[in-house]
Amino acid sequence: MTIFLASLGFGLVTASVLAIAAVGFTLQFGVTDVLNLAYGAVMIAAAFIAYVVNQAGLSIWVGLVAAGAAGALGSVLLNAGVYTPFQRRGASPITMVIVSLGMTLIIEFGTQAIAGGTSVSYSMGQGPTVSAGGLVLSAVQFVVIGLSVLVMAGTHVLLRYTRLGKAMRATAANRNLARNCGIRTARVITLTWAITGALCGLAGVVFAMDAGSFDATSTDLFLIMILAAAFLGGPGQAYGAMLGALIIGLATEISAAYITPSYKYVIAFVALLAMLGMRPSGLLGERTG
Amino acid sequence: MSSYYLINLLIYAAVDAMACLGLSQQFGVGGVTNFGFIIFQAAGGYVAAILALPGTSANGGFQSYIGGLNLPFPVPWIGAAVAGGVLALPFTFLVGRRLRGDFAAVGLLVTAVLLNLLVTNYRPLFNGDAGLSLIPQPLQGKFDPTSSSYQWIFTAGAIVCCALVYLLVSRITNSPYGRSLRAMRDNDTVADSLGKNLLAMRTAMLVTGGAIAGLSGGILVSYITTWSPAAWGYAETVVLFAAVIIGGAGNHLGAVLGAVLVPVGFEEVTRYIPTSNNLPPNLIPSLEWVAIGLLIVVFLWLRPQGILPERKRVIKDAGAGPAVTASAVTAAAIPQPAGPPPPEPVTAEAGSAGQQGLPGPQDPRDPRDPQSGEVVLRVVDVTREFGGVCAVAGVSFEVRRGTVTGLIGPNGAGKSTLLAMLAGTLPVTAGQIRYLGQDVTGLPAYRRARLGLVRTFQLASEFKRLTVLENLLSAVPVNAGDSMRGALAGPRYWRGDEQAAVARARALLERFGLDGLANSYAGDLSGGQRRLVEIMRALMAEPRMLLLDEPMAGVHPNLARRIGGELISLAAEGLTVLMVEHELAIMDEFCDPVIAMAEGAVLAQGTMADLRGRAEVVEAYLVG
Repeated sequence: MTIFLASLGFGLVTASVLAIAAVGFTLQFGVTDVLNLAYGAVMIAAAFIAYVVNQAGLSIWVGLVAAGAAGALGSVLLNAGVYTPFQRRGASPITMVIVSLGMTLIIEFGTQAIAGGTSVSYSMGQGPTVSAGGLVLSAVQFVVIGLSVLVMAGTHVLLRYTRLGKAMRATAANRNLARNCGIRTARVITLTWAITGALCGLAGVVFAMDAGSFDATSTDLFLIMILAAAFLGGPGQAYGAMLGALIIGLATEISAAYITPSYKYVIAFVALLAMLGMRPSGLLGERTG
Repeated sequence: MSSYYLINLLIYAAVDAMACLGLSQQFGVGGVTNFGFIIFQAAGGYVAAILALPGTSANGGFQSYIGGLNLPFPVPWIGAAVAGGVLALPFTFLVGRRLRGDFAAVGLLVTAVLLNLLVTNYRPLFNGDAGLSLIPQPLQGKFDPTSSSYQWIFTAGAIVCCALVYLLVSRITNSPYGRSLRAMRDNDTVADSLGKNLLAMRTAMLVTGGAIAGLSGGILVSYITTWSPAAWGYAETVVLFAAVIIGGAGNHLGAVLGAVLVPVGFEEVTRYIPTSNNLPPNLIPSLEWVAIGLLIVVFLWLRPQGILPERKRVIKDAGAGPAVTASAVTAAAIPQPAGPPPPEPVTAEAGSAGQQGLPGPQDPRDPRDPQSGEVVLRVVDVTREFGGVCAVAGVSFEVRRGTVTGLIGPNGAGKSTLLAMLAGTLPVTAGQIRYLGQDVTGLPAYRRARLGLVRTFQLASEFKRLTVLENLLSAVPVNAGDSMRGALAGPRYWRGDEQAAVARARALLERFGLDGLANSYAGDLSGGQRRLVEIMRALMAEPRMLLLDEPMAGVHPNLARRIGGELISLAAEGLTVLMVEHELAIMDEFCDPVIAMAEGAVLAQGTMADLRGRAEVVEAYLVG
């Protein structure tokens, strides 16, 4: 029981980190129609920016804000400089994925070239720990969970109650129709890259906090969990990604407690392949075909 | 020492070129984007290793692995190729018709990452992270592997294997089957509607590419004698993709060139970078990866066709073919005298001999009495919902043999959705479709096309990177070379069929006045010409029933009239046509009966003159 509770704690933290990342990823895909595999690379680049801020003597929470801003800016530039020109030329979805894979290498190994290949950690206190039964959480972990809940609530408000959110949903459903209805889709898409890029940056930092130490290639495997969460909920579905993140986060950590931790990604992998093979529109997606 | 360097270079070049050829076939020709390509090479490497290695206890048992069969030389290489091919089978569920190509690619990428993780962590299988070493080289008991002559013979063997692979993929690509693969690559939905079995073709591509990758892995491990997970990270696949994209996807020589430039070139160039003490240890490898990423993005932007673009397959004018019988050519040329289409039936004299070359039904059972012919298509209560919206709500009607039936209705009436369901492009939510007395409701599109139920599309749907003539040829239902086996049997096996098909296609092109453009890329044509290509292509599929979605849209009125006339004369020969069209003049002139739809339901049916008299039709459609 203690093992279960302890792994439940880990699972909640992982699910929180994953939820921020997966919601950003899935919104990005849904609205902009780019399956951006470079998402994990942007995450880790942002985590390194927070590291630089942190090393300069500032609090990691300042670094978190800086990483969010850098993620937003970087993603907007990535879209404006690379993806939009390709899309405007009529590149097929598969070409876009290959381009994003090329960008993954450029960003990930560019970061490695600058930062070096060694692992680094933020200098930060973990704060007092709270334990209930076997469930042990540090103050930082509580903050990560709280931040994630905040981001989910913010996403909900954005999509349901704001004009921008409505415009984003309209653009996701049918870009041409949205444009013909007077929605400035180009602006909506740029804003979407900014918002999802900021989420990506935040996710990078909380991922690095949760991992303890990280290097430029640390998000390679985490990207699989993001993909699994997004596809479990249905690509493009923000609420689906939240649900997917909770399921994948808990499942990987709880399974890790009972089998070897090195195999914990297998659950995410099986979930992803099963969804792709049997229900590509996801648990919350529309049934097609 | 320098000969050692050269041998090393040649063997790596041969292995990489082989892998790139497999990828070129799979991705460049078949359009199957396999981001997990490297795992097939890895599988070949491991299988070759465990077939060649002695039992685990040998060498002091310092490594653990399954197998250890200690088998003699050619077996490990054969086993490697088989392993690569067999490993492809479980992934076929990802590449069927239903899953978007980019999603399937992601699934394969993730598989590659995970398999690497598993092999790294699970030691009993292939000795985990440390990998296998001391893998025996071919015939090392009989000869000395360190001798120069052994190494040169090994090199020659690797190059011969690479050359054989090149011949294999060239043979596949240059056959009618290769054309079908390229058609699938350019537009899979359309290829499906022309009778191509996408799942079978993609499976064949995965297996072929997998076997080639496996063989390359087998040859590599028996040269370097070690194999570990570090050698096949997911990013290695990206290197091979970079090579194929830079060399020229779809051009096999380009794949070889790309292999020399990218994987081999990078390895060699970095060898000459002076190692400086000031540089951090990871800098050069990191920058190498950055450079590969940049190469991919920059090439896709500046020269997406690669250094050596896919070759245009020009088919020379007829007359050069000695294998084709004179009668086949004349039979193909006979069906229609040039000039305006006389609507009188030619069936009486064309008889059975002329029918073979005709782009019409193969077997009109009752040619003398087409008007009151039997029911070809019976649609019963067919319904289609899209997330609660009923696009087609319980539509029923019949279409009789030899008629040109029109389908009209305002935008959003459900005409195109209905046509897509009839052809099998979209599944029905409810209802039944009977074609020639057979229930085809559950049949996939390609099976319906093979039964002669062929559709065209509302939006342009030509195969862009096939020539006009190839577009037509791609639809031919019976060609000995249009299967993997036929392709492998070689041109001699299928040349006869091919020449007959070319003759038919040329006759058709002449009939529609497009013979001058036979060897132009279909993607370069004007909108009206593309419509024509599409109609001709559908006719090449030897349909018994044609489903046309706005065939005259964007076509010059004179040409539209010409097309209408052709359809009437084909109908007189027994072809059945169901045609969506907005141009009422066309309906007046060519279609009888006409079905009017609105809001997903059939409103009325009759002659166009009839319909003009009906208040509900006039209200729903004719007025606005």
